[in-house]
Amino acid sequence: MLTLGALAFLAPWVLLGLGAVPLLWWLLRVVPPAPLRVRFPAIRLLFGLVAQQEAAVKTPWWLVALRLALACAAIVALAHPVWEPAVPVAGSGPLILVLDDGWAAARDWEARRAAADRVLAQAERAGRPVLLVTTAPSDRDGRVPGAEVRPAAEASTIVHALRPKPWGTDRTAALAAFEAARPETGTSIWIADGVADAGAPLLAEALLSVGSLEVRIASQDDGPLVLMPPGTRSRLLEVGARRIAGDGPRAAWVRASGEDGRLLARGELVFDPGEDRAAVALDLPGEVRNLITRLDIEGERGAGATVLLDDRWRRRPVGLVSGGSLERDQPLLSDVFYVERALEPFTELRRGEIGALLANPPSVIVLADVAKIPAADLEALEPWIADGGVLLRFAGPRFAEGADELVPVRLRGGRTIGGAMSWAEPARLAPFDSSSPFAGLAIPRDVLVARQVLAEPTLDLPGKTWARLTDGTPLVTGEPRGKGWLVLVHTTANTAWSNLAISGLFVELLQRLVELSAGVPTDESEAALPPWRSLDGFGVLGPPPPAARAVPLATIDAEPPGPTRPPGYYGPAEAPRALNLGPSLAEATGLGPWPADAVVSPFGTTDEIDVQPWLVIAAILLALAELVASLAARGQILRPRPVAAAAVVLALVGATPPVGAVDDAFVIEATQDLRLAYVRTGDADVDDLTRAGLWGLGTILRARTSVEPGEPMAIDLENDELLFFPLVYWAITPDQPRPSDGARAKIDRYLKTGGILVLDTRDPDAAMGGGGASAATLRRLLRGLSIPPLVPVPHDHVLTRSFYLLDEFPGRWTGGQVWIEQTDGGVNDGVSSILVGSHDWAAAWAMDTRLQPLLPVVPGGERQREIAYRFGINLVMYATTGNYKADAVHVPTILERLGE
Amino acid sequence: MVEADLSIRQRAEQLAAHLPPLLVAAERVAAVVAQGVHGRRRVGAGETFWQFRRYQPGDEIGRIDWRQSAKSMHVFVRENEWEAAESVWLWCDTSASMRFASHLAPVEKLDRARLLLLALAVLLVQGGEHVALLGADRRPSTGRATLARLAHALGRDDGLGGSLPPLIDIPRYAQIVVIGDLLSPIEDIAALIRHYTNQGVRGYLFQVLDPAEETLPFAGHTLFEGLEDEGSMLTRRAEELRKDYVARLAEHKGDLLQLARAARWRVGLHHTDRPAPEALLSIYMALAGHA
Repeated sequence: MLTLGALAFLAPWVLLGLGAVPLLWWLLRVVPPAPLRVRFPAIRLLFGLVAQQEAAVKTPWWLVALRLALACAAIVALAHPVWEPAVPVAGSGPLILVLDDGWAAARDWEARRAAADRVLAQAERAGRPVLLVTTAPSDRDGRVPGAEVRPAAEASTIVHALRPKPWGTDRTAALAAFEAARPETGTSIWIADGVADAGAPLLAEALLSVGSLEVRIASQDDGPLVLMPPGTRSRLLEVGARRIAGDGPRAAWVRASGEDGRLLARGELVFDPGEDRAAVALDLPGEVRNLITRLDIEGERGAGATVLLDDRWRRRPVGLVSGGSLERDQPLLSDVFYVERALEPFTELRRGEIGALLANPPSVIVLADVAKIPAADLEALEPWIADGGVLLRFAGPRFAEGADELVPVRLRGGRTIGGAMSWAEPARLAPFDSSSPFAGLAIPRDVLVARQVLAEPTLDLPGKTWARLTDGTPLVTGEPRGKGWLVLVHTTANTAWSNLAISGLFVELLQRLVELSAGVPTDESEAALPPWRSLDGFGVLGPPPPAARAVPLATIDAEPPGPTRPPGYYGPAEAPRALNLGPSLAEATGLGPWPADAVVSPFGTTDEIDVQPWLVIAAILLALAELVASLAARGQILRPRPVAAAAVVLALVGATPPVGAVDDAFVIEATQDLRLAYVRTGDADVDDLTRAGLWGLGTILRARTSVEPGEPMAIDLENDELLFFPLVYWAITPDQPRPSDGARAKIDRYLKTGGILVLDTRDPDAAMGGGGASAATLRRLLRGLSIPPLVPVPHDHVLTRSFYLLDEFPGRWTGGQVWIEQTDGGVNDGVSSILVGSHDWAAAWAMDTRLQPLLPVVPGGERQREIAYRFGINLVMYATTGNYKADAVHVPTILERLGE
Repeated sequence: MVEADLSIRQRAEQLAAHLPPLLVAAERVAAVVAQGVHGRRRVGAGETFWQFRRYQPGDEIGRIDWRQSAKSMHVFVRENEWEAAESVWLWCDTSASMRFASHLAPVEKLDRARLLLLALAVLLVQGGEHVALLGADRRPSTGRATLARLAHALGRDDGLGGSLPPLIDIPRYAQIVVIGDLLSPIEDIAALIRHYTNQGVRGYLFQVLDPAEETLPFAGHTLFEGLEDEGSMLTRRAEELRKDYVARLAEHKGDLLQLARAARWRVGLHHTDRPAPEALLSIYMALAGHA
């Protein structure tokens, strides 16, 4: 390796090739480019001509310079230069590379791998073998892979195949692997992930005992974050996070996404200085919350920053039991109608008898006006409640007659407040106590309770009362039984006793009550759940790794996730159980402190730049330039047309010319002379012909009249201003694009301010009396323009007498109808702003510079061409003088008057 | 060979289909070479009644139309319309220098020249005129057979023709039409014009040039080679020759025009990158006397 300052060459002997460059220079100077052979008939005229500047028989200097640069670039590229090569690792023996590939390494895996690559590249350059030690158990067999001294290139392929694992490292096992392959001496580099485990200090000691140890680790403030699963029993989704290391202020965003990856909610986690935990509460509607399947920390990757949610966080099943039988015929009077409507959006409703419901236990069972629960059902209900079920009972007429004992408070019969036979007013609700599960709900003023069942006043009654009326009597009472709750609403679930059921409060009350439930009581059987979907090291769900085993439900949370129980979903696909990495990391700490001999540095700081690819690209570009330049030197590249060149330049620059800005040069050009203008159609043949036609007409005009127009001008409807032209000739071609809105507005303004637009469909069929596609084209082009009603040119129209007396308007074709605006003399002095025909006048007028007509007229005869010229003259006269000549219509009358 | 003849003849007829039959404007009315079928819209020898005219002293007694004279006080002479056909000798340059098409033009000059000549012949025959191929035919004729003969003669691809028509004797008061690149030395062209003018023949020189011959659109190190063994010429910077070349060509064309004017011949110019109908129209109008 040859080093020149910051530049080093990996294959320096290739640079000897630079010595051949002067030889190349001499050869290039001497050998000129071969001439281009051209067979040329008019060579007789060439004989004797001498170019003023016969260049020396030499290749132009710039071409030589270009070729030399190309040669130098190729030679230097072959020498493989490297900018600021990494300082080689000192020491002897194999290079020991310890690479942490646990969950915490996923977040910056690319940087880690690049750091490992650099270390391996140095080892390869120094010719040192590598002992690669990875610290996480493999996902194939669940064991930490053994270490072996290998050539650096081989170790590099292993590093490239490595993926971070969704579980933590096991450095005790890694230490064992290292000890098994322990060399006499060596240099150790440990790319650490920053999460401590029991084996870490021992491994550091062992590495130091062999030689030097250099630890490369991410900075403390940028350590890994762990996301904790939210609680299942709270109404809000309270997401917590932990940081393994660091104590500065730090913020992160947690995002909740659905099964399809849709972002459903976002919340900011803020770590206060010194705190290692942060939490955010996501307040979501029940429906949205139920859609959430996973939570991630934005910008973090890996299993630690991902939490999977399962049915425990989802909508609760609710069983409905009604005491009445009105469901089918009178739904509005049904006991459970309003409960159903309130719960449907965020719970899964089931209906049936208590026994049937308990076969597949729901989270909540609602009993509406059920007075006596059968004894068998009572026995089944009690353990269900103790297990976390919520039994919600509503009072009602049957319930008031005499209820069973499964109620939170003792009852003493019903009472009626208000009504036909009472002076009392129906009662309103009192504000909820702060200890009540309903705390914070707003009470609508129009909720009135007319009947209720009363509770026996006991000492513990106030504690059990969750809602009360303004007179203090309880409306909702509840009592915990085991893990579950027994709740009684002292009025009906329909509108018979109260209008509570049709208020918004009812929905909120029911939501709060459902949230009390613990979710689906799980089946605590010994059955093992097979892994269904597992997170990989980057936090992506996929098929479970080979080492994954089925996990008994009872012990799923007992052990931390590992190769045999990777984080992910377990159990049947319909109701999977999530296993998250977060809870096992509640106590994890940062790596360190390191032994005093170890050098700790962040990874990914110094970076050598391989210059070779850039030089190769430069050489290729130079080669292309040389090709173009030498062709140009031989004259084989003709000058591209200016339009094409402009297009290329525009495409290269990526700029578009300013649209709508009126170009001064154009204005001066247009107004210096009287100009006949034509619309550029995009069809070069048609445009040329139209130009020749207007030029021919101009020539005829100059010869015969005092109108002396300048060269005709082509205008672009989109960009150019029309206002300067008395007459705009528009040849219609089938594939012309429709003018844009701006262009149409411009045309409209032009027509309104006195311009004349001559539309020529150039269609012999239409001219000879047939219809034709041209009419459709015309309609398409003019759609959106305010075209006035058109009529065939009347016999006494000014056009027939503005210069010549005419009775037909032939062009290249004849026989078609010519249409003009139907004017009443008011607008623009009665001058038609538009003229439509199909005779292809421009083709008849067209002549070349020797004044020879370009196209024959059909059916023929120079008489027809002459009449076409006359029509053109009349048209220009009409456009320039308006209805001035219309007065000639009145000449007989005037003469008559003068005669008198 | 036959197929090739057919193809160029078909193309020529297609081209000619857009123009009405061509009646050559005859100047020298007195010198009729052959009786034609179409009227000249003036009094002359012919079979179709043209007009009655009052008898004037000197008119032959036999020409008095007695039936017409009997209808009125005056004596009328019956005059017929002059019917005459012009004979036109056509010639087309088939030399090697015509076999040239640059990158700017879609066809060879020869191709275009032959096509124009045949199309012109079609128009002339339709108009009843007599045509002949200068140097190949002994005397002009008309009709479809003439066209076939012309097409065949033109299709002979021997490239042996000279750059200018042969100087032979043809009947007086005929017209000749020469289509070619007319790049021969101006003295040769002067000799040609002199020869035929001395015979009382009027002519129309129609120059067919490739656009490259007009502009010399070459640049850089270039070796020019002639097509007729004129030799070759090497230049370093072809673009520097352009100005002088264009001036020289303009001079040549100016000389040509001057020569033609002096002899009351006419000159036309066509570039092969322009459409053929344009050229045909130009020839048509020149021969029909419109321009």
